[in-house]
Amino acid sequence: MSGEASILRGFRRQLGVSLGLIFVLLGLIVFFGLVTENFWSALTFRTIANQIPDAVFLAVGMTYVLMIAGIDLSVGSVLGLCGAVLGLSMTRWGFHWVPAVLLCGLTGAVCGALNGWVTVRWSLPSFIVTLGMLEAARGGTYLVSQSRTAYIGSTIEHIAGASLFGLSAPIWVALFMVMVAQLVLSRTVFGRYMVAIGTNEEAVRLSGINPRPIKIAVFVLSGCMAGLAAISNVSRLGAADPNAGGGFELTAIAAVVIGGTSLMGGRGSVVSSLLGVLIIAVLENGLAQMGAQEPTKRLVTGAVIVVAVILDHYRNRMGRR
Amino acid sequence: MNSMILVFFRPFRRAQSRNKACIFVLISTLLLGTSCSDGTDGTRPANESSKPRVALVMKSLANEFFQTMQEGAVAHQAGSGGTYELISNGIKDEQDVTRQAQLVEQMIAQQVDAIVIAPADSKALVSVCQRAMEAGIVVVNIDNRFDEAVLQDKGLEIPFVGPNNRKGARLAGEHLAQQLEKGDQVAILEGVPGAINGIQRKLGFEDAMKAAEMAIVSSQSAHWETDQANRLVAALLTEHPSLKAILACNDSMALGAVAALKSAGKEETIKVIGFDNISAVQALMRDGRVLCSVDQHGDQLAAFGIEYALEILETNELPGDRETPVDLVTPKTLP
Repeated sequence: MSGEASILRGFRRQLGVSLGLIFVLLGLIVFFGLVTENFWSALTFRTIANQIPDAVFLAVGMTYVLMIAGIDLSVGSVLGLCGAVLGLSMTRWGFHWVPAVLLCGLTGAVCGALNGWVTVRWSLPSFIVTLGMLEAARGGTYLVSQSRTAYIGSTIEHIAGASLFGLSAPIWVALFMVMVAQLVLSRTVFGRYMVAIGTNEEAVRLSGINPRPIKIAVFVLSGCMAGLAAISNVSRLGAADPNAGGGFELTAIAAVVIGGTSLMGGRGSVVSSLLGVLIIAVLENGLAQMGAQEPTKRLVTGAVIVVAVILDHYRNRMGRR
Repeated sequence: MNSMILVFFRPFRRAQSRNKACIFVLISTLLLGTSCSDGTDGTRPANESSKPRVALVMKSLANEFFQTMQEGAVAHQAGSGGTYELISNGIKDEQDVTRQAQLVEQMIAQQVDAIVIAPADSKALVSVCQRAMEAGIVVVNIDNRFDEAVLQDKGLEIPFVGPNNRKGARLAGEHLAQQLEKGDQVAILEGVPGAINGIQRKLGFEDAMKAAEMAIVSSQSAHWETDQANRLVAALLTEHPSLKAILACNDSMALGAVAALKSAGKEETIKVIGFDNISAVQALMRDGRVLCSVDQHGDQLAAFGIEYALEILETNELPGDRETPVDLVTPKTLP
């Protein structure tokens, strides 16, 4: 009983933290509703919901990595590589989708493990290690796919095609992941360790806890999330594009930072990252419906990212007073 | 140098390991930097043989289109019975202009006889090609045409060998128009802003649509990418429910459009056309989910350029541009 109550309290607190973001999100929805003809329709929101799982998966992984004061620049490329492996195994090796999907997830996990292990083993900044992986994984993608788009078709499309209450399977899985990741972060020992490592790694080490396996685990999780994002991406498109996920790491980082997670580590929330993803997705969809041209799109997106973070900053200060 | 640094730092174990790490990172970055952009096939110095040496400087080898172009060039060289030597290079992505300029300079230093270049930027690479010409190297421009105004300004004449993208796009647009009715709503998916071939294709689509009196309700960039096209089209379907056709400036974007139509259940009512004739789209054309595409014979494009360069080397004359064929591809023309 009391456990349930405190979980609820935790969620309410969570909601409080994200109030500024909800405000920005609603503001955008109202704005686009006024300037376009058909933004306020169930179709728009279903479209957005079915498109964001890739970004949500990446943002969940990225939140964890930022929590431990790391960064993972490789997620976009790893998404590409996982997608290419999925495409290769289904088209050329004739795999059934279940083993192909598992292989895809495994590829992500291996890339993540490599990131984590190299970072920890030589005490390198994760920035440079994952930057290396960004290059290497993209190279691997081109190698695996021979730089060609692999068309898979209905054998994979049914994953994204399965729907419940009008929403596709990947978004339900993504929402479930957000819930689980938030609970793990705020209510488990593993979560506490992550916060502690992000706040002061040396103190963690001196208090007799080995931070290394935890850090590696976080990178593995981030890699797995990239694998899940690849499954969602490929099943939605029915094809594995060798250039998939290019620059996606920055979208993920932007979403997570909009969500108030600190780049310095130790502070953050998965639910808020989801709101960050939603803000970026609503913006993208709305601008496309407006028919805005490229320069406008980029200027507006850049400005909204910064304004969202500024608003959140003020709201936080007010909350502390 | 390496060992000196290590000796110097020996008393401080931590510092030493950090330095090792730094050197490791430095070396790996250098290796990474060179290995992913240099696809140099042969780097023998000049005058070892009297065979003409032709350098092919490509755009992104990450793109299927340029990959097949390069393969075509290699096959051409192999089929020529070794009458010329081929050195081919490519850059990492289509925007890496600086790196491409460096490649041209390396080719000048190697004293090749001819450079066949698919410029990543139609203006920024003119001056480095000018230097090559001043060094007595024959320069042939393929795929992406150098900007006329810049060439005129420098008083240069660089022959262009390549397809007419605008004409190709117009062919596809006209084929589409036959299946539509006057006043139908259509949308164009553009390439990366600023890419000349993308702009030409867009113009070709517009020519055909205006001639057939269709209403272009939207024209936005999806950066040549499947996923971005997918998201863009999903948004367009909401805003323009009576859309009748989507004209994608390349096939990757056409794939993304088809996926968006499928999830919106509008595959039957909206037609999609593409450009490039990649293998993935051929399957969709057979299913009737993509109406048509355009083949500009990318596999032969570099070979055309090389042949042209060899011709110039032999005759010492500078003839004008040469247009390579563009063909409409429909399910009927597929093998």
